Parts: sequence; C-alpha cells; structure tokens
Amino acid sequence: MSLILVVDDEPQYQHLLKVNLEKEAFEVTTAGNGLEALEIVSNKVPDLIIMDVMMPKLDGITTCERIRQFSNVPIIILTARGEEQDRVRGLNVGADDYIVKPFSADELLARVRAVLRRAHTTEQVTPNRYFVHGNLKIDFARAEVWKENKPVFLSATEYRLLIQFAHNVGQVLSAEDLLAAIWGPQYREDKEILWVSIARLRQKLEDNPHSPLHIVTRAGLGYLMAPLDKVNL
Amino acid sequence: MEKLTISTSSITIGTLYNLSQVISRAPNWKAALDEIVVKVRPYFIFDNLVVYLSNRTNNNLDVFYAKATGRGQKGEADVAWGEELAHLHQVSDNHQTILQEPSKDEVKDRLERPYLLGIPLNLTQEYLGTIVFIRFGGPAFTESDKKLGEFISYLIGFLVERQNVKYEQELLQAQHQQIQIREDFLSNISHEFRSPLGFIKGYTTTLLRQDTSWDQTTQQEFLKIIDREADRLQELIDNLLDSARLQSGQLQMRYDLVRLEAVINDVIARARQNNPSLVVKFIVKTTLSPARGDPFRLAQVFENLIGNAIKYAPGSDILITIEQEKNGVVISFQDNGPGIPEKYVPFLFDRFFRVPDQSPNVHGTGLGLYICKQIINAHNGQITVHSETPHGTTFKIHLPYNR
Repeated sequence: MSLILVVDDEPQYQHLLKVNLEKEAFEVTTAGNGLEALEIVSNKVPDLIIMDVMMPKLDGITTCERIRQFSNVPIIILTARGEEQDRVRGLNVGADDYIVKPFSADELLARVRAVLRRAHTTEQVTPNRYFVHGNLKIDFARAEVWKENKPVFLSATEYRLLIQFAHNVGQVLSAEDLLAAIWGPQYREDKEILWVSIARLRQKLEDNPHSPLHIVTRAGLGYLMAPLDKVNL
Repeated sequence: MEKLTISTSSITIGTLYNLSQVISRAPNWKAALDEIVVKVRPYFIFDNLVVYLSNRTNNNLDVFYAKATGRGQKGEADVAWGEELAHLHQVSDNHQTILQEPSKDEVKDRLERPYLLGIPLNLTQEYLGTIVFIRFGGPAFTESDKKLGEFISYLIGFLVERQNVKYEQELLQAQHQQIQIREDFLSNISHEFRSPLGFIKGYTTTLLRQDTSWDQTTQQEFLKIIDREADRLQELIDNLLDSARLQSGQLQMRYDLVRLEAVINDVIARARQNNPSLVVKFIVKTTLSPARGDPFRLAQVFENLIGNAIKYAPGSDILITIEQEKNGVVISFQDNGPGIPEKYVPFLFDRFFRVPDQSPNVHGTGLGLYICKQIINAHNGQITVHSETPHGTTFKIHLPYNR
C-alpha cells in the first residue's frame, strides 16, 4: 500500500488531504513543517510527498531542494493562486507537479494518481542520506558536515562547493565548471574566488590543508574529491 | 602702496593627508570647508570665499556658503562676492576655471579691487555649482593657487554630491516603505481570502466526489467546516468594508444608552460558545451608570480584543475589568500571552499593520485594531496598549461620559 506524506502547517489542510487520500486506500502520514518532513523522509522514504510551499521554519521549496539531494521521491507542491514564481521555482528544484490552492478534491486525486503512475515506470534510484569520505561525513537531509564526529560549520557557498565534489567522487571538475555551477556563468573566469574557497574548505576539513586528502588538485585540469579507495580510513 | 609678497609654497604630503582626513570625517561639506579654509591658510591666502550651488530644477545659482577672512571682514555686504563670475557660462557649461582681475584704474580702497578665482564644482559630467575665491587688492592668483583651488573644489564637489545622494536615498526609502506596506497588505489579504475559500472548495468537492461516498457523521463534519469558513469569509469582508468606510469617513455611529457590562457579557458568552475551553474573568469594579454609545460598534471592539487574545495568546486566561471614574469609564482587557515586542507597539493601531514573522497559520488582516481605534475615537474615547514580553498584553479603553 502506498505511503503518502502530507506536509502543511495548517492542520485543517492536513485533515482535508488525509480524508480524501485515505478513502483511496493510501496510508497517510503528516508533517507540520519542512524540518519534520526531512526527518520523516530520512527514516523511511514515502511513495509520494504533497507539500505546501508556505511554511514556517523551512519553506516547501527549500525542503524540496534538500530532499532532492538524496532522494527522487515524487513531490507535488501546493501553491497559492497567483504566485507563479512558486510554481516555477518548485518545478526547477525538482518537484514533479503542482496543485494550486483552492483546489477541488477530484483534481488533487487525479494528479496524485498521475504522478504515482509516472514514478512506477521510471527506475527508482535512491541515493543515501549520508555521504562518508574518510573522516568526513555529510548529512544531506540536514545539510550538516562532520569531521571525526565533530560538526564543521561551512558557509552556504562552501557547503554547495563540497557537495558538488561529493556527488562526483573520483571525477575531475574543471575550475570553470565549478565556478559556473556554484557562483553562476558570469563567474567562469574568476579563478581567484574558487582558489580562496577551496583553500578555506581545506582549512576546515583537512588534517593537513597543504597535503589534502579529500579535495585534491589536478594541475591544469581542475579539482576532484579523491576516490574512496584512495582515502585512508 | 605696500608690496605684499605672499607665495603659495609647495604644499606638503602632511597637509594633503590632513585634508583627506577632513573629507572622510566631515559630517557635511560646510563643516569640511570650515576646516579646509583653516588648514590651507599657510599656503593659500584669500579674503572671501563663496560657494554657489546650482538649483537642480531651474538652474539658478544660490549662495550656500560664504566666508570672510582678514581684509574681507571689513567689507561685509558692500563688496563684490563674485556673483557675476559665478554666473559666467564658461564656468558652468564648459567647466572652466576663470581668473578675473580688477580694472587697472588707481583706486585707493583695496576692497574695490577684487581679484577673483572662480572654479566649477562638478562631479564627472554634472555641474553642481561654482566656488569663488576673492582677494582684495592682490596679489594676483598664480598657477599654483589655481591648482590648489581646483583641488579643494574637487573635494567639496565630492562631498556635495554625496550629501545630495544621501538625501535622495532617504526620500526613496520613505517612498519604498509606503509601497511595501501596501504590498504586504495586498499579499496578506489575498492569503486571508484564499484560506477559507480553499477549505470551502476543498470540502464541497470532497462531498461531491462521484467515485465514493461518506458516512453521515463525516458529512456533518465537513459541512460544519464549510459553514465555519463561510463565516470567516463574511467577517473578512465586513472588516474590509468597515475599514474602507472608516477611511472615507462614511461610518456612522448610532448612539443610544448602553449598559456596557451587558454588552461585554454578551460578547463573552459568544466567545465561550466558539471556544469552549476559554477562561474569561469579568470584574465589575464599581457601579456603572448607563453610557452613551453605539452598542453594535462597541461590541465589535470588545469582540475584536477578545478575538485577538484568543488568537495571539492561545491558552491564556483573559481578565476583563470595568470601572467608573470621575469623567468616564475604563475597560481593560488583559492576557498572559507572549506579549508584543516593544518596537512594534507604536504601530499596532496602524491600518494594515501586523506584527511581522507570524506563522502563516495565524490569520489576521491588520485591520482589527485600526477599526477599534476609529470606533473608540468616534466616541471621543481613547484606546491604549501596554505590553511586556513575555508577560502579556493589556488593552485599556477610556470612554468619557460627556461628549
């Protein structure tokens, strides 16, 4: 039986969605904000998430982005009528579909069925919530980084840079591609920003920043996160 | 005739450094000029100094700064202050420095022989005004004087420009704030409307689903929700209309003799009906004479205050007291909720104002307290608030007897 997670800060919406979905023989669990949703998804990935975009603590779009770092679970976002940018942003960060409030029960169920149909035909690859590299550990769900079980505090840019490497272990990434991905296409030639950021990252993550084990330089080619078998455990 | 030999000797790095300090610390360009005049005295002598600034709208020149030193102080208003020079097109249009020397006629009074140095104040392309240095009776300004004068002019031009920009920025910020308040209100209002509409649409279509049926109890539950949300929508519309009418002065009070304690008891009873767990204590501290007021509108005020306490201080007891004083009656509504941060208190009764950072779950239009205040003011009364986070909030209404 399919499990659906409903995320909305208004209990009345949770109730409305739950009664309709349970009538369709779905199992429904609810969360009141993005952080709760992330905890639930990290423990057991549901078959579908229906998530409101306007929530306190962590909004729907950011939550969707975080979930996408470690799961391909189908996500339908609930947006407000007239807020086009929410729909666009939501779809861009990986939501599969959107429903506009106010909505009719029939429309909601039709979209749920359509998204679930699509999900069953595509290969479900669910990467891990955690990434381990030597004495380094990344928790994608909480956007936390640990070195030897002590938390490391990274800036937003440093974190984004690190997970670029984490998602491409063993692959050399060119400076231009890194700059474009993290800072934007207009920064492709601003090498210095990348050098400083990698230096800062090494200061925080490496036992010996001058002989890095995690983020390694390939002169003339770029940088890479060393393959796992090459990292001393 | 005396021969005065004053030369502008080379200015040192030290003096240039001091000038740069003046510029960076100056609170405004006039204060800067006061200091600069003193600091360049050893190198650059003049009797009078005038700064004309161009009025941006009509291109007229106005005096914004003038200083008389030495010989200039004797002349007061009877000497030339370089007006014709400042108005010369060469200075304003061509950004040219102009030297003007007096006629060669032998005149006894030095003050009638002004040597003028007019330098444009400009930043990049835009002409801001002209600065005029005046020496009475010479000696003529030299090339070095010209250079130093131009240097000072660049610095002053920079300061003037910076002040103009700051002023315009403040203007824009004020305008922006106004627009922001209005936008916040519109976005808030549409959220407020969409919420009950969303439930009405959601639950009616749920009941209308062809592919399934709901048992009687569930149907009743859904229908009650729809009914409640329709009421909420009605209240919203009423508030908006009231606010609009109050804004345009169209809301009429219907005065009558009112037993305030009865009105309050009614409001409390209704509140208890909708919120069975609500704890309200009502203390009548003195005997009360009937007052003159609009019972419907006063009830609206009391309902709003109780409603706010329920919404923003959930679970808190509410204490309402009423007592007669010599010239009126005082009613207070007190809760033990989280209170209102001090910085927001001055804005509480403003139209559209809502304390920021509320959860989207807590509904409000920012109109309630505005409407309350207008109603109480119409009764020649006063409504005030006292709040201390996290100890709670108290609203006090003072209604006079004689209007």
